[in-house]
This record gives sequence, C-alpha cells and structure tokens, in this order.
Amino acid sequence: MADFEWPWQYKFPPFFTIQPNLETRKKQLEAWCSLILSYHRHTKSYSLNITEAQSSPLFYNKSLSRKLHVDGIYTILDELNKKGHIEWKDKSKKECLIMWRTPGEWGKTIYKWADDKGMKNTVCTMYEITNGEDSEDTEFHGLENWLLLRSLKCLQAEGKCEIMAGNEGVKFF
Amino acid sequence: MHRRGAGLGAIKNKNLAQAKYKDKGTEIAEDKFTQMTQQMDTFKTNLEDFARKHKDDIKKDPEFRLQFQEMCASIGVDPLASSKGFWAEMLGVGDFYYELAIQIVEVCIATSPKNGGLINIEELRERVEHARGRNSQNISIDDLYRAIRKLKILGSGFTVISMGSSALVQSVPGELSMDHTKILQQAQKNGFISQVDLTQNFKWEVERACRALEFMVKQGLAWVDDQDSNGRKYWFPSLCTNIGR
Repeated sequence: MADFEWPWQYKFPPFFTIQPNLETRKKQLEAWCSLILSYHRHTKSYSLNITEAQSSPLFYNKSLSRKLHVDGIYTILDELNKKGHIEWKDKSKKECLIMWRTPGEWGKTIYKWADDKGMKNTVCTMYEITNGEDSEDTEFHGLENWLLLRSLKCLQAEGKCEIMAGNEGVKFF
Repeated sequence: MHRRGAGLGAIKNKNLAQAKYKDKGTEIAEDKFTQMTQQMDTFKTNLEDFARKHKDDIKKDPEFRLQFQEMCASIGVDPLASSKGFWAEMLGVGDFYYELAIQIVEVCIATSPKNGGLINIEELRERVEHARGRNSQNISIDDLYRAIRKLKILGSGFTVISMGSSALVQSVPGELSMDHTKILQQAQKNGFISQVDLTQNFKWEVERACRALEFMVKQGLAWVDDQDSNGRKYWFPSLCTNIGR
C-alpha cells in the first residue's frame, strides 16, 4: 500500500471518532465512504470482512494509534449500502461486497470498450472480458465474476447485450 | 486735551479700518489657499511621478507595496479609496485588491468543508498565491488584510482573528466570543485542546469550558477525538495546517 494516497483526514485523529455534530458527521461519513471505495479500487478488491477490516490499515492508523471501531465501521457501511456501493453477503452482516463502481457504471465502461474494440454482434466469453489480453489496460481487468455478471445484466436490461445460457458468454449489440 | 475716537467720525474711521482689515485678511487667506493648492498640485504630480516610476515595483514587490501604502497613509491619501480614481487607473491597485478579495472568498469557500470557515492567514496566502498561478505577483499578508478590509463593505462576513504572531480569517457569519478566541489561541500550538487545558490554564469553571467547546463543535469548527488516553480532545482543522498538504 506504499503508493496509496491517503486523504488528509486519515492523518487527522478525530476522523476515527464518529462526530457528534450532524454537519461535521456528514462530511466525515462522505470522506470515509470515498476513502473505502478508493482504497478498494487501489487494491482491486471486491469484498470486506468486518473482523479482518478492524485490523486493516484502512480502519486502523497505527502511527496515530487511532482506529475506527466496529460501530463506526457499520455506520459508514450502512451509508455506502444506501448509495448502492456495498451489499451484505448475509444477514449477520459479517461480510460485504464492495462495488467501487456500481454495476450500472461498470456496464457502461464495458460496453464502451466492446464498442471501441469492434466486438459488437459477436459472442465473447466472460473470461475474455475480465482476463483477456484486450482488456489488460482497462479498470475491469480482473473484475470478479459476480460483479461482471451483474454489470452485464444491467446492460441486458437496456437491450445492449445478451447473456448466453450458462453465463459463459455474452453478445453485445 | 486731545480726545480721540469718541466722535461720530472716529466710529466711522474704525469701521473703515475694520473693513480694510477684513479685506486684507481675505486676501491673505486666498493667497494661502492658492499657495496650498499649488503645493498640493506639485505634491500630487510628484506622487504621480513616483507611482508611475515605481509602478512595476508597487505591483510586483509586496514589501515595496506596503511601504508605498504606509507613505500614502501617513499623508492621508488612500490609493484604494476608489477603484475609479486616479490610482486605480494609474496602477490598477484598486482592481488588484478587489481581485484579491474575490480570490480570498473563493479559497475560503473551497476550504470551508475542511476547516469550518476558519483559515490560518498563512495557509490562505499560500492558497491564494497558488490560485493566482505561477506568473502572478507575490502576495503578502498585508495585502490580504487590505483586501479583507474591502470585504467589510459587504457585511460582517469576514473577520480577522488575531492570534499573536499569526491570525485566522473567519469566513462564516457568527460572532466568536472572547472565550472562543482564547480557545483558538491556546489550541494554536498543537491544533487541539482539552477541557482540562482550559480549566487549568485559564482557571475556567468546568461548565464554562464545556459550553465554549460545545459551541465550537456545533459551529463545525472543532472535531472531537475520543481515543486519546487523556480524555476527549477537541481538534481544529483550521489550525492543523501541516496535515494533508
């Protein structure tokens, strides 16, 4: 994580205490939301385990000896949930899926890429999209399957692609 | 015996003399006035010449600008009094300070989400200079003060809170009381303060310290930190200029 650029708030001790003043808290939550998303974008990870998260540098700034406590983590994740950027894997809320881009946003990016590469009206495999040579320099290279499928479903709903039976391939229109 | 000045003729003479004195007086006054006007004209021409000659220095060098301002102030001339005046045309200084004022407002608005509308004057200076671009002239703290004074016309939105060697510029409405200013001064060194600092250093009652601190939290000027081993700390982003820059 050497090259990740932490926001100034991360070096500001009170950032790790949920603020009592509503206005300030609003700013704080916003900063946390964008920090969580950009952190996951940087590490290209798509899920977050609450137990593990507590000792991750994301929520624990060792040099300040400040950490965001579980309650705080939940407060922020609930906020992200409202915005459609996370989803709980189960009801016990132990783990969540993180979408630093929503499926709709991913869908658009992928569609544009397919268009640029002249891949419309041909069938390409899911593997090709996220692991193929053609997508190596794209942000969705390495995108997890569940998220890819969801993004494509968004596109399908708009009539821009059709997912083949078995979820192995897709055809863009 | 010779009696003088008691007859009708004498009164007449006296009146005449008085009228003559008056005339002479007016004459002298007029003379003086013309003389003064002439002097002022000469002075103005010289000042203009000076300004014209050192126009570039005045515009570019904040130190020189300050000295020029001080010189003008000591003889009761305010080059900034009107943007339409001779000085503005001559030097563009009127515009300079209005432009600066707008840039100050912009920086204050842009940074208010972070600092709650309170900014260190040095940070403000750096940000304004940055906003003006690399090729623009240097801005001194004195320039900022002058520009902020111009903003007073628009109401009490902008205030400078003096903090000893430094100062804070407050761009949010709302008066800070003496207590709040004192808290800021005390917190200046570390960027934070605790209730105990206030009760010990200022001998304030707990209730007074509490009320003042709560007010600053409510105004969005202070953030609370509950993870310090010595109890709750109140942090002021506006005083933490070294963080995140």
